[in-house]
Amino acid sequence: MKAVCWMGKSKVETLTVADPKLLNPHDAIIKVTRTAICGSDLHLYDGFIPTMESGDILGHEFMGVVEEVGKEVTNLRRGDRVVVPFTIACGNCLFCKKKIWAACDNSNPNAHLMEAAYGYSGSGLFGYSHMMGGYAGGQAQYARVPFANVGPLKIESDLPDEKVLFLSDIFPTGYMAAENAQIQSGDTVAVWGCGPVGQFAIASAFMLGAARVIAIDRIPERLEMARSLGAITVDYSEEDVSVLTALKDLTGGIGPDACIDAVGLEAHSAQLQGTYDKVKVALMMETDRPSVLRQAIQAVRKGGTLSVPGVYGGLLDKVPFGAAFGKGITMKMGQTNMHNYMKPLLERIEKGQIDPSYIISHRITLEQAPEMYKVWRDKKENVTKIVIDPWANAAA
Amino acid sequence: MSSALKEKPYAEEVPTTSPASVILNGRYLPPPEDKDGRLWVRTSALIQASTNDLYAMWRNVEAAPGWQEQIKHVAVTGERTSHWVMQSGEKTIEWDSEILADEPGRRIAWRSIGGDSDNAGEVIFEQAPGSRGTVVTVLQAFRIDKLTSAWETFTGRNPKQAVIENLRHFKALAETGEIPRTQGQPHEDRGLIGKMKISTYGEKVPTPSGSN
Repeated sequence: MKAVCWMGKSKVETLTVADPKLLNPHDAIIKVTRTAICGSDLHLYDGFIPTMESGDILGHEFMGVVEEVGKEVTNLRRGDRVVVPFTIACGNCLFCKKKIWAACDNSNPNAHLMEAAYGYSGSGLFGYSHMMGGYAGGQAQYARVPFANVGPLKIESDLPDEKVLFLSDIFPTGYMAAENAQIQSGDTVAVWGCGPVGQFAIASAFMLGAARVIAIDRIPERLEMARSLGAITVDYSEEDVSVLTALKDLTGGIGPDACIDAVGLEAHSAQLQGTYDKVKVALMMETDRPSVLRQAIQAVRKGGTLSVPGVYGGLLDKVPFGAAFGKGITMKMGQTNMHNYMKPLLERIEKGQIDPSYIISHRITLEQAPEMYKVWRDKKENVTKIVIDPWANAAA
Repeated sequence: MSSALKEKPYAEEVPTTSPASVILNGRYLPPPEDKDGRLWVRTSALIQASTNDLYAMWRNVEAAPGWQEQIKHVAVTGERTSHWVMQSGEKTIEWDSEILADEPGRRIAWRSIGGDSDNAGEVIFEQAPGSRGTVVTVLQAFRIDKLTSAWETFTGRNPKQAVIENLRHFKALAETGEIPRTQGQPHEDRGLIGKMKISTYGEKVPTPSGSN
């Protein structure tokens, strides 16, 4: 089959590899009909996530048709249409039972690597480094899905793939970000980053009762999209704009009730601290560039909540923890507990309350994927979301 | 028990002690230190199954190749004895093992009684506080020279880590009926450095089958 492989930092290639096989009794093989490049894949592309190894198949947002199931899979059969959550969960450990699916104890075969870095291991993820399980990803024509009796969501209606594909990660991730923001009706919520997760966080914040959402970014088409959802936008790249002042001005001086960092470890900053972080990362004195996190901690109101769906991987420098303590804020974060949200969000799509496909800007073939990683990383061609049809002909 | 604090509605009795125990007279007991060529490893797991079922699964030594790394074959040779065959790369290691203590649903202790391996161990099964499953604690000791241990760390699995991984496999098998694995999945050629790193990750050590 054809698959998008990580071959080193800033090096992605579409190559022919072996087809996946059933390896465990609860496995399923999915013929992938649509897959997408996630903003977090760009962290892999840029070499920010350790234990990626050359040859790894990328991709954790995918859906398709069940091709084959292992002997213990009872709820799926060949031909079923499914969306696959990017976190792999066993369904039976203490954490799955508590519905903290992203903390599953049993799905990461390389748990010892993550234990060394984080103390304890989270669940395995598709196509996201050996530390996170080393599972082959879904930017391919076929994918093996472990614990298929627990994760995949069956799509029984005739909704097109593009409307349900983002249930695999970014829609639930944006939704959980809003849920973690502990929004009460009438709240003002600030969202940093108007990429796909930020977009769904904005939409979800409104769904959960926000009276006002303030969206912060620098890319015009993303800000336009945020305004189309009803958010008030702040373009931090404009010379006379200070985000902290803007947020005070827009909240009568008290600050947003909740802040959502939908940017994560590769935050771009026009200020001096941006250069500071780039130098420190280059010298391996920190691993992440936390300028959004710093700003969000400063910005949130006293007793407010900071929700972090943006990915962080390692060590952060100059995080204003005193401000966090001094204001008594609550911080909630983590990989998405996908399995809690897929079904209820599918129902919202089926009822026509939201059509997640509005964020798609590019539809490509597997062969075009390597080039599009670069284009999106460099923030060119107005990319908001790239969807891949693994069976489309390159020439088409 | 002290009467200073009277209000602790959910507190539970501390479990009774045994050699693998982590609590002694109300104090945390650190694991034994490596000394005189004897290496120790203690590890524990919280498993969603009953103490009796987990005891039975551990006690069924002939099924050990299904969840213990590099164990090829185990044959019961007597009421308390068994013969173990381990395949580590090209190397085959064999030894006999004897059960020293056998308390159904609670504890098993064993030691090797001749052969290529000098090891002894104990496993205890205790109900977790708040009835949140069973805490399985393994204490194992073995004699192995440091050079061998370092080499095995580099080429695959450090023997101490193997004990930790085996308990992890045991837990996965008990909770889900399978052991998570990635060996055999597709990838593009990894190149020389990639192959070396995969080996140091321990991904070259064959994942046990997970069958009983």
